[in-house]
Amino acid sequence: MQSLIVGDLRIEAMEDGVHPAVQLLWKGKSNNRYPGDVLAPYFRDVLTTADTRKVPLELHFEKLEHFNSSTITSIIQLIQDSRARGVKLILIYDHALKWQKLSFDALRVFAKDAMLELRAA
Amino acid sequence: MANLNFSIDLPVRSEWENVDRLRTSIQNCFTAVFSDFAGCQSLAMVTGELVENAIKYGDWSSADDRRFRLRVWGEGRSAHVLVENPVQHGTGHAAEVLNTLGWMRNFRSPIEAYRAKLLEIAGGDREGGNSKLGLVRIAYEGNCLLTAELVRGVLLVEADLTV
Repeated sequence: MQSLIVGDLRIEAMEDGVHPAVQLLWKGKSNNRYPGDVLAPYFRDVLTTADTRKVPLELHFEKLEHFNSSTITSIIQLIQDSRARGVKLILIYDHALKWQKLSFDALRVFAKDAMLELRAA
Repeated sequence: MANLNFSIDLPVRSEWENVDRLRTSIQNCFTAVFSDFAGCQSLAMVTGELVENAIKYGDWSSADDRRFRLRVWGEGRSAHVLVENPVQHGTGHAAEVLNTLGWMRNFRSPIEAYRAKLLEIAGGDREGGNSKLGLVRIAYEGNCLLTAELVRGVLLVEADLTV
């Protein structure tokens, strides 16, 4: 699984034999003007990987400094796509960071079944 | 935040790189003055979202000197962010901003409006890139009162934050 580096954003793909998930560690800042242009194809690839391996997709935002509202739109699209493909999506955030707590608490509006889990680290 | 008066007034070049420059500058400047890091992050987020909108939707087609105005000021327990940018007549951006602010007033709280906007985006009711999610985010995450007006082809959007 490839990592993604675009502008100030770095998404590190982590895989180990112990953790049964495709893990993406978000670092830096997601401040691209059109983040969907790079995130959408990347998400398609990681969803395919997770689907093939029959494991959840786990996104870690704890080390992320900032994302703009266009990035939130891309994450909403990922929530939709992962559910459509039957891949469990887990979003992990730092609840001690006020902006992360507010952003991800609101995304619980999509947590209507076990296919989406929002986890406060 | 402490009860300190402050004011910044900048004629900013309309270049995308300036979004993060301004956002981080606001965060760093105010963190240097105030001890409320989360409050400074909110102020920076509000600035970033308003500046993004100005650069994305401002009318930069004819101006020789492509600049918008950013003001950030505060007094007592209040902080304000005002962005002024030219808009093209008939493009609808100014109307969409005003409509979005009116739409938000239909909700009892900013979180309700924000959740509704997230669901609207998920439902594909609007083009994602032009959803005005940033404005609704400012009201919710920034706990801001938003106002806007169109004056002789210039859109003024102000976010008022009580800290």
